[in-house]
Amino acid sequence: MNRAAPVEVAGLGKRYRQTTSGQEVVAIDRLDFRIESGEIVAIVGQTGCGKSTFLDILIGLEAPSSGSLSVGGFTPYGDFDRFRGRIATVFQQDRLLPWRSSLDNVRLPLELAGMPEKEQRERSLGWLERLGLGKFTGAYPHELSGGMRQRVAIARAFALEPAILLADEAFGHLDEVTAAELRETFVKLARECGSTSVLITHQLEEAIAVGDRILVFGKPATVLADVSVAQWPREDYAGLREAIQATLQANAPDPRLKR
Amino acid sequence: MKPSSILPEAKAAGLFGRFPREGLVSLLVLAAVWETLAQLSPTLGIPPFAVPSFVRIGRSLLTVTPIDVAITLLRVLGALLVSFVLGMTLAMVMYLSETLERHARPVIRLLMAVPIISWILFAILWFRGVEFRVAFVLVIVCAPVFLVDALDSMRDVSRDWRDMLRSFRPTRVQFFTKLMLPATLPSILTSWKIVMSLAIRVVTIAELVGAVTGIGHQLNVAQQLFSVADVFAWTLVLVASLFLLEYVLTLAEARLLKWRPA
Repeated sequence: MNRAAPVEVAGLGKRYRQTTSGQEVVAIDRLDFRIESGEIVAIVGQTGCGKSTFLDILIGLEAPSSGSLSVGGFTPYGDFDRFRGRIATVFQQDRLLPWRSSLDNVRLPLELAGMPEKEQRERSLGWLERLGLGKFTGAYPHELSGGMRQRVAIARAFALEPAILLADEAFGHLDEVTAAELRETFVKLARECGSTSVLITHQLEEAIAVGDRILVFGKPATVLADVSVAQWPREDYAGLREAIQATLQANAPDPRLKR
Repeated sequence: MKPSSILPEAKAAGLFGRFPREGLVSLLVLAAVWETLAQLSPTLGIPPFAVPSFVRIGRSLLTVTPIDVAITLLRVLGALLVSFVLGMTLAMVMYLSETLERHARPVIRLLMAVPIISWILFAILWFRGVEFRVAFVLVIVCAPVFLVDALDSMRDVSRDWRDMLRSFRPTRVQFFTKLMLPATLPSILTSWKIVMSLAIRVVTIAELVGAVTGIGHQLNVAQQLFSVADVFAWTLVLVASLFLLEYVLTLAEARLLKWRPA
């Protein structure tokens, strides 16, 4: 398995020019934080605060305008190919390829990583079994429910057993029961794999349920608060939710989060 | 779970596609009008050779030489394969380089705007070998269609899929083989259908003026002999060949796109 890697973000900024107006937009102001190896961190923020831009930089799809972001000492954008087989993402929509069966969708990253065919098949079948889809290996995406499709997408990400695992609003579009079930599965598997995990969400309940830590992003993206969920009294999760909510509304850290 | 089987439209498609009853009636009416005209031509003052009866056309069909049919079909299939490979390769290169695309698009538009007959004349003036002339005309007409269709459908591939694949770090070859080609396969097959009927028409004209074999050449001979029955027979063979090729393509489509929801 890939060794989990820490994420270092220092003075990260992202600006881009709008194609229509030509105006410069600050998507990420300045981000500074560190995520330890094997940690599960949830990032919350309002819509349009730059969470997804941050994720694109973390995946390596976009380059930062300033500052740096490194995973295990390498930059996902600059050292793009070095991350082959080491990084996996569960996206908001499942993004399954409709011409591939469930099994072949899970195999996709393994094929790209150049894994031997027999191992690809065994590993993919194993992950589909673990996610309760053992009987649906030959099914095409359109033959599966939304929850099942997202399970296939999760299996696809975990099949790589990646050093770094990312999830972008991965459960937000599912019904509450399915979402809760998948969140639980996600956390369990992430802990088993030991991957460093970053989950982006706008749902505070989800962030509290999943994260070891919660980073609260302001608008434009800057860290307003960095909360350790483990150190927060379990019986006061309602208070934590209220404090994060207040932080997001004021776009400034709530005093309760500074303890 | 059982994967979706063959597409319903493919199931319904026979050699002539989903042929509506009304269409069959229209064709029968047309045939009846033709045969009536053929029978009445002497009394109507029409020369008998101008509107031959179906019996006369049937006799001409019996004289059709399979070798000429085979030569024309081989020319079409060979040129289509070359055009497809050329068009797809250029589409992939242009997809990777927007600068190249900006330079090449106007040239391709220009090539596509040139009338087929001009290409045939250029071919006759530029090249000596008959086969090369025919191949040149077919490729210069068909390859740009494959190229433009493929490039446009590649540009239409969803960004979500592209980002998903890129997040797994594919090589360039993998990017095309695992995503672009399968994603654009439906429109590639549609291009094949369009280009195939285009190629059948183009090859006929090219053979008509520059070849000594093939259906086009036989049409030319029939025209010189004032034999409308022979022209009719060769045209029927040409149309039937096109239907046959389209049918084969429909079967391939049903197999290759079996993943599509019904």
